[in-house]
Amino acid sequence: MFACIYSRTVPKSQQKLEDHDAKAASPLVDLAFTFSPLVEQTSPDTVVLDVSGQDLLFGPPAEDGSSAEVECGRNIATDIIRQGKTLGLKVNVAIAANVDVAIHAARFIKGITVIPPGDELLITRDFSIKHIDYSLVAMDEKRAAEIQETFALWGIRTFGDLARLPLAGVAERLGQDGVRLQKLAQAKSDRQLHLVRPPIGFAQSLELEHAISEVEPLTFILSRLLNQLCANLNEYALATNELKLTLKLHDKTEHERAINLPVPMRNPKTLLRLLLFDIEREPPQAPIIAVAITAEPIKPRSSQTGLFIPLAPEPERLEITLARLAKLVGVQNVGSPELLDTHRPDSFRMQRFTVLVSRKKPHSNPQSAIRNTPCVMGFRIFRPPWRAEVCTREGKPTRIDAPSGDTRVRVRGQIVCASGPWRGSGDWWRRDVWARDEWDVAVVDPKSEEGEVLCRIYRDVTTEEWFVAGVYD
Amino acid sequence: MSALTKKEVELALADRFGAIFERHERRPLEVLPTGVREIDELLFGLPRGAITELHGPASSGRTSVMLSALANATAQEEICAIVDCDDTFDLASAAHAGVDFRRTLWVRCGRSLERAFKAVDLILHAGGFGFIALNLCNVPAKVVHRVISSWWFRFRRAIEGTPTTLVVLTPVAAVRSCAALILELKNESSVWPSTLSLVSENSNGGFTSPDTTARYLSLVPLTAVAKEHPAQPHAHFLQAMKIVVNRQRPVELRPGKVKFNPQLRVR
Repeated sequence: MFACIYSRTVPKSQQKLEDHDAKAASPLVDLAFTFSPLVEQTSPDTVVLDVSGQDLLFGPPAEDGSSAEVECGRNIATDIIRQGKTLGLKVNVAIAANVDVAIHAARFIKGITVIPPGDELLITRDFSIKHIDYSLVAMDEKRAAEIQETFALWGIRTFGDLARLPLAGVAERLGQDGVRLQKLAQAKSDRQLHLVRPPIGFAQSLELEHAISEVEPLTFILSRLLNQLCANLNEYALATNELKLTLKLHDKTEHERAINLPVPMRNPKTLLRLLLFDIEREPPQAPIIAVAITAEPIKPRSSQTGLFIPLAPEPERLEITLARLAKLVGVQNVGSPELLDTHRPDSFRMQRFTVLVSRKKPHSNPQSAIRNTPCVMGFRIFRPPWRAEVCTREGKPTRIDAPSGDTRVRVRGQIVCASGPWRGSGDWWRRDVWARDEWDVAVVDPKSEEGEVLCRIYRDVTTEEWFVAGVYD
Repeated sequence: MSALTKKEVELALADRFGAIFERHERRPLEVLPTGVREIDELLFGLPRGAITELHGPASSGRTSVMLSALANATAQEEICAIVDCDDTFDLASAAHAGVDFRRTLWVRCGRSLERAFKAVDLILHAGGFGFIALNLCNVPAKVVHRVISSWWFRFRRAIEGTPTTLVVLTPVAAVRSCAALILELKNESSVWPSTLSLVSENSNGGFTSPDTTARYLSLVPLTAVAKEHPAQPHAHFLQAMKIVVNRQRPVELRPGKVKFNPQLRVR
């Protein structure tokens, strides 16, 4: 059985059906989806839904076959009209075994029409042929106008007139279009519904009966929501690169977290781990009473690997590893460094570490990629610099004693060789102005067996204090 | 048995037993070139799927060798990681050495040895990294000695069969038998140069040096006037350095084992 809902009041914004989202957002479609998942939107003012198999919900307690079906249809139609009123819709509802008969009946007859199986022609035979819906037989407007003119010449005025014509004559004069129209008039058309997809939901939420304040029970809830979310994404062959978690707390506040992923993912286990790491790093301040997760859908990544492309970490595993590292050492201590465009020593910022995908052809022989540039001497910088006591003679440093911050190691001894000073300064317009005289020195500690230590030391010009910037190594 | 004698025996028995000796020979390990020509000529590079230890005192050249290898790895589009125990990784000198930071993950461990080891473990198990460096240069020797060996065994087990090179920079030898290659760097001269020597190898099997004459490598500045005041700050260090072979202290090299003259340690 099919139910057709015809709205006598359709807003202008719903007049066009080109946009899929406009279709899905129509209140008429919403009304239909409350009764059945199988819904066709025939036109902006007409929807058809399959209401078969709803006897237990809407049928009478115990009746015989045909009357029970009619009674069930009537109950459904009554309920549709009642629900439509709550949405502000004035609708006609027709129930029939044939889709097209239901459509025409809903358009022609006001209120509720229930057509028992076999009685279709009795109802439709008096309908005017001028109002037959040519789009139901996939006929364009030009052809429809020609046929309508022909019907007028033949004196065909109702569905019943067309239904009574001999099939061979109609086929001979109007071709297959005529045959399909006659079947429509005879209520013998047989077609499937062109189903409307329900609106895509990439948001999941759950309100909790009891507030939770531990991670373990939250894990199960997040797992359930993410499984559903990823199933939805998988169904539409999509993935997500942004996950938003909203936790409603017992103190009427909200704890919102957003996880941006460098590559699209839809693996619920990976997303669950990332969410949990994030929650453990920044836990909510009160027990949780509701959980909501929203995913931003995008196309999944497509990667073409090759035998000669250097190995790179798998993006999902890398994300989990980075999250674990951030939990271990702090999020500000993990990443890819970037030198800042300034003369201030040791100016850098940490960026999110992502794997670069190279598009250029890899070296056929790895040995050919070896740089021919000469080796440069490495430097180990001390953060913060070690405060030092330096003896000078004629402005040149001669002796140094500099314990490290935790005094585990120190630089101490005679300066046997020194180069410098190089004066550097900058940021004079800021509070943290810097100005220093730098020296490269070779320090020998007679008590130590280590030999020379090559250091970079500097004198802060503003405070006249000496520091060890680092060690050449 | 010297290498020559062994080869003669194998050739003599080849007619009767075929290539029986070749079956038991380990395949040569893949290596990651360091970019230091003298080291690469001697060792071809740092072994993949194994631990390499660079140890020595301050200013002995550990960081220089590591930066060169890191720069080469990033030039080959490998994904690399620096686990910096004491937060001493200098970006300016690394950039000067040619390191591509976009391919380098830097983990700053805030002077926590435990966090550094856990971070290396996480990165090793993530897989896909071509070069990982664990920087323990500033950790005192007595603390490094106290590192329980199970960590090194765990790392060796995790890295086996992978194309990853794990380089550990320490002030003293600590990795011991878990390292496939141990390079000891010495700062023994009274001026700027430092010396690098091949102390041990083959503890993990299969990594041998073909050259039996070169033993010691010295890191010396190219500029002879290093102590003079150059116009550009720190130019004498940031300019090109050169590693030269020092043949003044010969040692005996046997296949699979390196023996040193008495004043050095014997392994």
